[in-house]
Amino acid sequence: MAFHRPAFLRFITLLLLFGLSACATTPGAASPSASTADSAQPASAAASGEPPAFPVTVTDDAGREVVVSAEPQRIVSLAPSNTEIVCALDACDRLVGVTDFDDYPPEVADVDDVVIAATVDVELVVAAEPDLVLAAGNELTPTAVIDQLDGLGLPVLVLYPETLDEVYADIQLLGSALDRGAQADSLVAGMEERVADVVAAVDGAERPLTLYEVFHAEGTTYTAGEGSFLASLLELAGAEPLTGDAQGVLDAETLVAADPQLILLGTASYDPSLADAETALATVSARPGWGELDAVRDGAVVPYLDDIVTTRPGPRIVDGLEALARAIHPDRFDPDR
Amino acid sequence: MSATTAVPSLAFGPSAGRSALAIGGGALFVLLAAVAAVTLGTSGIGAGDAVAIVVHRLTGLGPVTWPASAETIVWELRLPRVVTGMVVGAGLACAGTVFQALLRNPMADPYIIGPAAGASLGAVVALLLPVATAGWLGIGLVQALAFAGGLATVLVVLAVARGRAGTPVVTLLLAGYAISSLLSAGVALLIFNSGERLAAVIGWLLGSLAGSSWPRVAVAAPLIVISFTLLLLRWRRLNALLLGEGPAAHLGIEVEREKRILTVLAALATSAAVAVSGTIGFVGLVVPHLVRLVVGPDHRLLLPASLLYGAGLLVLADLGARLAGGVPVGVVTALLGAPFFLWLLRKSVTGVGDRR
Repeated sequence: MAFHRPAFLRFITLLLLFGLSACATTPGAASPSASTADSAQPASAAASGEPPAFPVTVTDDAGREVVVSAEPQRIVSLAPSNTEIVCALDACDRLVGVTDFDDYPPEVADVDDVVIAATVDVELVVAAEPDLVLAAGNELTPTAVIDQLDGLGLPVLVLYPETLDEVYADIQLLGSALDRGAQADSLVAGMEERVADVVAAVDGAERPLTLYEVFHAEGTTYTAGEGSFLASLLELAGAEPLTGDAQGVLDAETLVAADPQLILLGTASYDPSLADAETALATVSARPGWGELDAVRDGAVVPYLDDIVTTRPGPRIVDGLEALARAIHPDRFDPDR
Repeated sequence: MSATTAVPSLAFGPSAGRSALAIGGGALFVLLAAVAAVTLGTSGIGAGDAVAIVVHRLTGLGPVTWPASAETIVWELRLPRVVTGMVVGAGLACAGTVFQALLRNPMADPYIIGPAAGASLGAVVALLLPVATAGWLGIGLVQALAFAGGLATVLVVLAVARGRAGTPVVTLLLAGYAISSLLSAGVALLIFNSGERLAAVIGWLLGSLAGSSWPRVAVAAPLIVISFTLLLLRWRRLNALLLGEGPAAHLGIEVEREKRILTVLAALATSAAVAVSGTIGFVGLVVPHLVRLVVGPDHRLLLPASLLYGAGLLVLADLGARLAGGVPVGVVTALLGAPFFLWLLRKSVTGVGDRR
C-alpha cells in the first residue's frame, strides 16, 4: 500500500495541528485576563416572567435544524472550544462529557472524557446520557460519528466557527439552546469591545508581512490558510499574513520568494526547544533557505506561546487576538499588562 | 452443480474426531468472542446486564433493570458491531482460502486481484463528493460505491486476463496487480487533494467496524453469507483444483468456468465486507494458513473452520480495538494473530506439529 505514505504524513500533521493544540501545557503560556467579567453573571436570565424558552429550534453550523425540547441538563462537548463556550455561559456544571484535550476552565478536568486521542468513543457518549451533544465541524468530529449519534436519537449541534462573527453567532446559538441569551449577549458585547480596542491600538501602524508557523516538517511550513480564521486574526492584529494554500501549506520556495518581515513561531507553544528566542532563531536559520530571509537576518523571529487560545475558536479567541497584536506591535501596547 | 456427480470423492481430510474438534472448537471460539465483545466495553455496563439486555430484546423476557442508555449501547452499538465482525471475518477468511487454492499462491488474500483497490477508490470518491453521505437506511454512498468498485474491479480483471485459451492464473495475478496499481494511484491522487476530509479518508482506508449498524448488517450480511455458503458447497472442486488445472479437468471439472465462478463469489464476499468495514488486512491471508496448519488442506473442513476462526478472530480484534481507544482493527488483527501464526509456523517446520 505504497499510497499510504504521503497521506499518512499529512494525517500525522493534521493530528499535530488539531491534537497538540490541547495536550500541551507550555510553561509560560500565559492566558492574559482569561475570564471575562460576563461569565460571573448570575444564571437567572430565565427567571422573571419571560415566556417559556423551550422547545427551541436552532440551526447549527452544518445547516442542520435541531430541536432542543427542554433546557439541557446533561451536555456532552466533543471539542474544547465548545466546552469553553458552555462554561462561559455558566453551564459548566451541566457538562457530563468532554475531550481529553480539554484544559480550560480548570474545573472541566473533573468531567469524564468521551473523546480520547481525537477519537469519539460513541459508547461513552451514549453512556453519559446527554440531552445535548456539541460536535465540531470540518471532520474534527467525523461526519460518520455525527450521523451515528443522530441515528441513536441524540440531539447533536455542530459548531464550526470560521470567523470572529461566527464565534459570536455560535455563542448566541448556544445562548438560545441553553436559555442563556442574556449571558451570551453580554459575553459577545465584551468580546466585541476588546476586539475594537485591539483594532484601535494597531490602527495606522505599518503592517509587516508575517508568517505564522503552525507546524513545520521536511521543508514544508504549515501556516494560516488563505482566507482562514487565523489569517483574519492576523489582519485584525495589524499584520499582512503570509498565507499558504487553502490548507495552509507553504513550500520553502514560495516562502523564500515572499520573504516575510516577521515570523511568529506558534510551534513554540508545544516545542520547549523553540521557546527561547535565541535558540529558536538558530533553529530556523539552519533550515534550508531560511537563513536568507529578512525576518531571520533581522532577528524578527518570535517564539509565540499563545497558540492554544489563538487557534481555539471559543470565547478566549480574543485573548489570542490580543496576544497576536502584542507580538506583532509590541510598541503599541503597555508592556506591563 | 451438474458436475458434482461426475467428481469422485475427494475427501482426503482428517478423521471425523479431528474434524469435529476443529469445527466445534471454532464454533465455541466464535461464541466466546461474541459474548466477550457484547459484555465488555468502555462504558462499564455489567456483564450480567449486557446479557440480560440481549435476552430481553430477543425474547421480551425479564424485568428491565438497566437505564435506556445501556440498552442502546448493547443493542445498537455493540451487537451490530459483533455481527458485522463475524460476517466480515468469516467472509474474508473464506475468500482468502478460496484465492489461495484457486491461484495456488500462499501469498494470496481476498484483496489480491483488486477488490480492495476498487473499493477504496469508490469509497474515497464518495467521501470527497460534496453531498451528504448518510443516505438510505444508513447505507451511504460510501458503502454503495465501495461495493460496486470492488466487484467491478474484479470483473474487469477477469475480462482483461481472459484469453482464447482461458484465464491463466499468472495472467490473472498480473492483471489484478496492474489494475490495483492503477486504481491505487487514483486513490493516492484523491488523498493528496482531500483537504479537510483527509482524516475521514484515512480512517476508512485503515478499516474499522465503528460505523456498524443494523441496517448495514441487513444489507451486507446476506450478501456475504450467501457468497460463503455457495463457496462452502464447492469444496470438492476446490480440492480438485489443488491438484492442478490439468488433473482437475481430468476429474471432470470445467476448470475455466469454475475459476470464474469461484472468483466472482469470493469477490462478492470481499466487496461486501470491505464496503461495511474498510480494508481490514491479515484475517484473509493468515487465518486460512493457520487453520490449514492444524486441519490440513481438505476444503470440506478447511473452509468452514477458516470461516469460524476468521469470524472469532475479527470479533476479538475489534473488541481489542474498541478497548484500546479505537485503534485501527487491522493493527489489532496483526498484533494478535502474527505471533500465534509464527509460533504455529515454527512448530510445523520443526516437525513437532502434525503436518499433513
